[in-house]
Amino acid sequence: MNAIFLSLFLGATAILLFVNPPLFLPTVLEAAGDSATLCVALLASYAVWMGLMEVWKACGITRGIAKLLRPVCKRLFRTDDEQTLQAVSANLSCNFLGLGGAATPYGIEGARLLDQSPQAEYASCMFFALNATSLQLLPTSVVGLRASLGSGAPADIILPTMLCTAFSTVVACFFTWLFLSPKKSCAAGACSGRKKQAVFSNKSAAGTR
Amino acid sequence: MNSIFALIIPVIFIASFLYAAVKKTKVYDSFVAGAGKAIPLIVSIFPYIAAITILARLLTASGLEDKILHFLSPAFRFLGVPQEIAGLVLIKPLSGSGSIAMLAELLGKYGVDSYVARCACVAYGSAETVFYVAAVYFAGIKRKKLPLAIAFSLIAYFLSVVLCCLLCRVM
Repeated sequence: MNAIFLSLFLGATAILLFVNPPLFLPTVLEAAGDSATLCVALLASYAVWMGLMEVWKACGITRGIAKLLRPVCKRLFRTDDEQTLQAVSANLSCNFLGLGGAATPYGIEGARLLDQSPQAEYASCMFFALNATSLQLLPTSVVGLRASLGSGAPADIILPTMLCTAFSTVVACFFTWLFLSPKKSCAAGACSGRKKQAVFSNKSAAGTR
Repeated sequence: MNSIFALIIPVIFIASFLYAAVKKTKVYDSFVAGAGKAIPLIVSIFPYIAAITILARLLTASGLEDKILHFLSPAFRFLGVPQEIAGLVLIKPLSGSGSIAMLAELLGKYGVDSYVARCACVAYGSAETVFYVAAVYFAGIKRKKLPLAIAFSLIAYFLSVVLCCLLCRVM
């Protein structure tokens, strides 16, 4: 990121130096000002959703979601360790809500614990694939941003986002399972579950072409 | 169809607050505590957003952006992805705050409800910042096969961007 930033910044500024030098400072200042405005818009949507998250935490909905996710996590990561499963499911449920910032602490803990799990190589890669393609059910900050910019229907991107994010997650998990899964320890139940996923992802891949 | 999705969010709030009230949770206190946590989070991402917004504006003002997009446009056109969102698609795996800055730029430039803007929104939501997750979550963890997982995630991400532009055209 440092190299990209530096080279693009220097390149653009050098061109500007030849084309229109007085434009530099106003451009930079206006951009910084606009980023402050953007942060205010983001703050608005974060405040609303993190408020809701806290209510969920207080009344046990978060724990309920984590409990629902536990069997799935057990199969995906092939571990029985309670603490690991808890961190991993908390991380995934934050991702569902599109709160990447809130998911980070659980994600770090989950990655550290999975590293010590019985099939660490596979489990770590699977956890990475799930987080990197982040299954996002409610793109809260995008909807908030659209609303703050005066969109006619800020929520109409929810369905396509759900489909795309599910698609990217299934594809990444399928690849990870296909190439990195230690085959001999594959339990019968887990295998049949994954076959379904494989069929689904083949179908959606065919659909894009 | 769209009106159903407009209903989702208020329904979630009503259901959650009612459930919380039944469970005798102090809804107001919890909500305030949670909303307060948004401020340090925003403070921590502001510098990144500012840096990327400045960079994006400089690229536009100098004309370098047009040249890069012109260079990339055949590939994007082939995949059915509008070339206007190329910058966002490329920055998303690297920086989350950077890509939301780019998203806001696109929404402002082309109008919130335009095809380009909707594509950008869905592309933004379709995956996470792959390299950020690798750097932050897996900072102290050395796994041989992690580069493979990174490659899989990037492939999945680019495929889903192609899918998203297709979906935005029909929906």
